[in-house]
Amino acid sequence: MDITKLEDFLDDSGIVFLSYGGILSQDLISNMTEALEKEAEVNNVSLSASTNIFTIFVELSQNMMNYSKSKNEANEEFDPKGLVLVGYNKEDNSYYVLSRNVLDTTDKDKMLPKLEEIKSMSRDEIKKKYRELRRSGLDKHNKGAGIGFLEISKRCDNIDFKFTKISENKYQFMFQANILIKKK
Amino acid sequence: MENLTIDETKYTPKINLNMEDGLIELKGKSYPENTFEFYKPMMDWVESYFSGCEQAKTIINFEIIYFNSSSSKLFFDFFDLIEEVVNKGKYIEINWIYDAENDSALEAGEDFKEDFEKLNFKLVEK
Repeated sequence: MDITKLEDFLDDSGIVFLSYGGILSQDLISNMTEALEKEAEVNNVSLSASTNIFTIFVELSQNMMNYSKSKNEANEEFDPKGLVLVGYNKEDNSYYVLSRNVLDTTDKDKMLPKLEEIKSMSRDEIKKKYRELRRSGLDKHNKGAGIGFLEISKRCDNIDFKFTKISENKYQFMFQANILIKKK
Repeated sequence: MENLTIDETKYTPKINLNMEDGLIELKGKSYPENTFEFYKPMMDWVESYFSGCEQAKTIINFEIIYFNSSSSKLFFDFFDLIEEVVNKGKYIEINWIYDAENDSALEAGEDFKEDFEKLNFKLVEK
């Protein structure tokens, strides 16, 4: 294969790093977080913005890790080929964290209304809902677009998501969080 | 009861639980693979400590740089437990320590402070 093409593409897209395929492990996630910390340091990203980027990255990749694990444990058929990446957009000086993985239709049905609700909420509403949910003690195991996606939305400037049907009972789920870097 | 120390890892904080000093300290990052499992020894220790082994004054130092949402829920449960103890008349001081440049850590501390109005919860800039 022509590796330069891939490199050029990654550079042009401002991709800092990505993980594709295989099952994400806790070690892989923490090593990527470390790499991300170095990247933030080199580029002089404020501690506040970088903390938000790390938190969102951890949240999204642990979501994917836990989803694969639960499928594995349930012995259900599952495509582990997930993608998670962190990129920089120089046009508006923002970082983005993007994840993409395959979900069952039943999970998509649970998540979609919750994500739509979060997307329609103001920052204050998100914060309020986050604290309500945390206080309620519900959603203990963080499944199906609960407090995790509120945590992400609380820490970024906007979110985007898309479910694409790939077969009768499978959807490709794409989620992106954008974090604007305020000038120091 | 014995003191408990857990070393810091890339994704879990250093935990220092000292009975003689009346000290409960957490420092570092918190995004364990299984949050409830990881914090169980700490939660068990804290429960035993406040069941008769506690000092007249207990200090809790929380210096968490960033954490995932399940840690956030766990910390909530932890402060909930502390509030119960305070309601029984124990004296506890909580320091939420954050870096001056880290607004997110400050904001997280402010949220806990508002959620637990009865606690002596101080936001301490490093």
